[in-house]
Amino acid sequence: MHAETSLGSAGTQETDRPVLRVSGLSKRFGATQALQDVDLDIAHGEIHALIGPNGSGKSTLIKILAGYHHAAPGAAAELDGEPFDLGQVTGSRHDRLRFVHQELGLVGELSATDNLALSRGFARTALGNIRWPEMERRTTALVERFGLGIDVRRPLSTATPVQRAVVAIAAALQGWEGRRGVLVLDEPTAVLPPGEVARLFDIVREIRDSGASVLYVSHRMDEIFALADRVTVIRGGRRIATRRVDELTPRSLAELMAGEETETEHRPRPVSDGAEAVLEVRGLSAGPLHGVDFTVARGERLGITGLVGSGHEVVPYAVCGAYGGPVRGQVRVPERSPRWVDAKDAGRLGIPLVPADRAGEGVIGDFSVGENLTLPLLDRLRARAGRLHRRRESSLAEEWIRRVGVRTAGRGARITTLSGGNQQKVVVARCLAQQPPVLVLCEPTAGVDIATRLQLYDLIERQADHGMGVIVSSSDTEDLLALCTRVLVVRDGRIVREISGRDITEPALVHAMEGTE
Amino acid sequence: MTSTPTRTAELRPSGTEVPTVSGARTLGTLSRRAVAALSFRTIGAVYVWLLIIVLFSVWAPDTFPTVTTVKQVLNGNAVAGLVALSVVLPLTARVFDLSVAYTMSLTSVLTAYFMVTKGLGPGTAIALAMTAALLIGVVNGVVVVVLRVDSFIATLATGALIQSLITMVTNDSSITGVKLLAKPFANIAQLDVGGITLPVLYLLLAATAIWFLLEHTATGRRLYATGFNADAARLQGVRTNRLRFLTLVTSALLAGFAGVVFASSVGSGSPSAGTPYLLSAYAAAFVGATQLRAGRFNAWGTVIAVLLLGTGITGLGLATSAQWAASLFTGSVLIVALVLTGGRITLPAVLRRHKAPTVAETDDVSAPDEEFTG
Repeated sequence: MHAETSLGSAGTQETDRPVLRVSGLSKRFGATQALQDVDLDIAHGEIHALIGPNGSGKSTLIKILAGYHHAAPGAAAELDGEPFDLGQVTGSRHDRLRFVHQELGLVGELSATDNLALSRGFARTALGNIRWPEMERRTTALVERFGLGIDVRRPLSTATPVQRAVVAIAAALQGWEGRRGVLVLDEPTAVLPPGEVARLFDIVREIRDSGASVLYVSHRMDEIFALADRVTVIRGGRRIATRRVDELTPRSLAELMAGEETETEHRPRPVSDGAEAVLEVRGLSAGPLHGVDFTVARGERLGITGLVGSGHEVVPYAVCGAYGGPVRGQVRVPERSPRWVDAKDAGRLGIPLVPADRAGEGVIGDFSVGENLTLPLLDRLRARAGRLHRRRESSLAEEWIRRVGVRTAGRGARITTLSGGNQQKVVVARCLAQQPPVLVLCEPTAGVDIATRLQLYDLIERQADHGMGVIVSSSDTEDLLALCTRVLVVRDGRIVREISGRDITEPALVHAMEGTE
Repeated sequence: MTSTPTRTAELRPSGTEVPTVSGARTLGTLSRRAVAALSFRTIGAVYVWLLIIVLFSVWAPDTFPTVTTVKQVLNGNAVAGLVALSVVLPLTARVFDLSVAYTMSLTSVLTAYFMVTKGLGPGTAIALAMTAALLIGVVNGVVVVVLRVDSFIATLATGALIQSLITMVTNDSSITGVKLLAKPFANIAQLDVGGITLPVLYLLLAATAIWFLLEHTATGRRLYATGFNADAARLQGVRTNRLRFLTLVTSALLAGFAGVVFASSVGSGSPSAGTPYLLSAYAAAFVGATQLRAGRFNAWGTVIAVLLLGTGITGLGLATSAQWAASLFTGSVLIVALVLTGGRITLPAVLRRHKAPTVAETDDVSAPDEEFTG
């Protein structure tokens, strides 16, 4: 609803004094120059996006603003014309710069009231006991303006992701009413399901319209166009450009971000009907999914999408036998066995999965890159007496690091020292090394920067060209547009639409997902 | 895979293709490896151990630096070492077995009971006692893995059950008898070669077996994977539940064996034989995890830690007669070791908040991340 007004009320009165101005910001970590001579100015009442690929330095910039890191000498900063010391977190800076970090910083076991009180303190009676009615009234007043019907007494772990985000924002904004300042949101949509992103955007706009400025950190281009008034692009620790969003096109922004011509048109051709099936699924039900049938052919790149909760995100887990709840239906992988297998036993087919939650289910953080790569392949590396063949293990790891182009100090480096995109390459490589008839991916590009994203698309496409079937379950339309030869759209647990080839377009996908055809 | 990743990693696979230059490089690699292997970070406890030896040699020059002390430390800590090793495997899979001390008491008591009260031969008695240990392992496995009770609490509970069993058998008094002190049974713990008794050999064998399992087999790698991130491991086809179950069985068996050895060495079945070993076992396992393979529970690190603690306590016993010195020493070493390694040992799952429901990754240059997590 605010979408139309966003550009009109942009309020970027360029003549106005910026609310926040930072200049000459540099920061070095060991051999890595994280930031070099970065300038940033944020006007009064604007949503200013900060965009850049993973590792570009945007998080470092935010952490310096928050006082978590010290900037190299030579940096200057001012709030509303008054210079302030970047090394100090006191006074006007605290009043005017507020942060909502990606992890939100909330305690899930506590209620919204408690969480807000953690940063502002409790109201007490003379006896020292907490005045709950007043606390709850105060909290309600703060979160109410955003709607969403948040119960301020229930533990936040029972709230929806967007409700939690709102509580985090409310906690950051308390005691700030009406002041000129900047609210910094660090990738707030990373933890949000796509369906709730629009609501968060409304809230961000409302904050802007109430007179505050917002610095919105993201690596998603679509969010910039939907929300921001201006955008600053950083890459490799340098500011590349600051532009008004209405002067940009997706293509020109992508070029700024990637630093070179990126191929946005990537539309693959559909596979001919004659190709044999590598995976067949019938009557698959699991969680929100009610009876889904589909087939993946050799060389086919099948997309499965839908809104969050529609059930599409369950498909990869159910197909690989990794779904945590009861599953019904049958799966057949002709290359492994001519028989249909009950979906609850699908794990026996040994189809590897690239899971959605990379940190939680994908990589083993305490393992090295090599150990992560070879974990599912250990049976192949047996030498005498059950001994692991160390030399074969290292050469296998080296080979895959090279083949998928993982950027790492070596196979012995801890996997957590890699960027998200490179970790994802390791996860994909590990699946490919098992030479599966079909590669199953769930949200393969979540938290992956744009350059690595393109490399992943390329890699997956190459596998398909060699005859591997691919299933991509994604709520990111960019993945589907770039990658898929055919897309199944799931709504309320059923496949409602099949789109293939040239018909796979952003509007077609969105309409099918939302049911607004 | 310790701290010489870059160059070695590049060289390894192509090593055969460039035989001429590889010689010189290998030498460099070897020396770098040697430096890494001998660094304080890797084997800090060994240096602390040497320091302690020097310290006590100066403090008690007449009694400490003697062959008798060496024998005393080795022989006196072999059982403690076995108990410590018994908790290593569960810990690698992030399972706590707090019942080991009770299992140890039970087998010591049962062996004595079957031999003295029931008049069975030592072989039969030991077999029956070890069967009981096996059963305890299975019960622990069922409660922890099948019934999904957190291992910390579950094994505390089964420990209480075992204690009640012990009291049932013994009425809370030690079982003694001539048979326990006589030849065939006494030999288990008391036969010695040049003053070094058999339990030291058992300790070395057990450590070698666990080291081989963890370092050189697929099962070992899978155990670590299970401990570090069970969800991810399961998705990679690791049968995490089976492994966790098996670690509980092995810990019960090893602790049970320690109980038999203990009964043989003291010549009686004591209802509280295992109790003093619980804390020292976990202390050694956790200090051990800071050694050699930083952040991973491992066999030799645990043995080093047992020797370090044992030497200190023996030395304190010789140098002073203060009763409180031993516990003070154990506690201090544990804290200092854990602090020195910067909390690289992760807390048990129960004491930690479980993973937050995030989908996305943190986004930053990797190097700065290391700066504050490393």
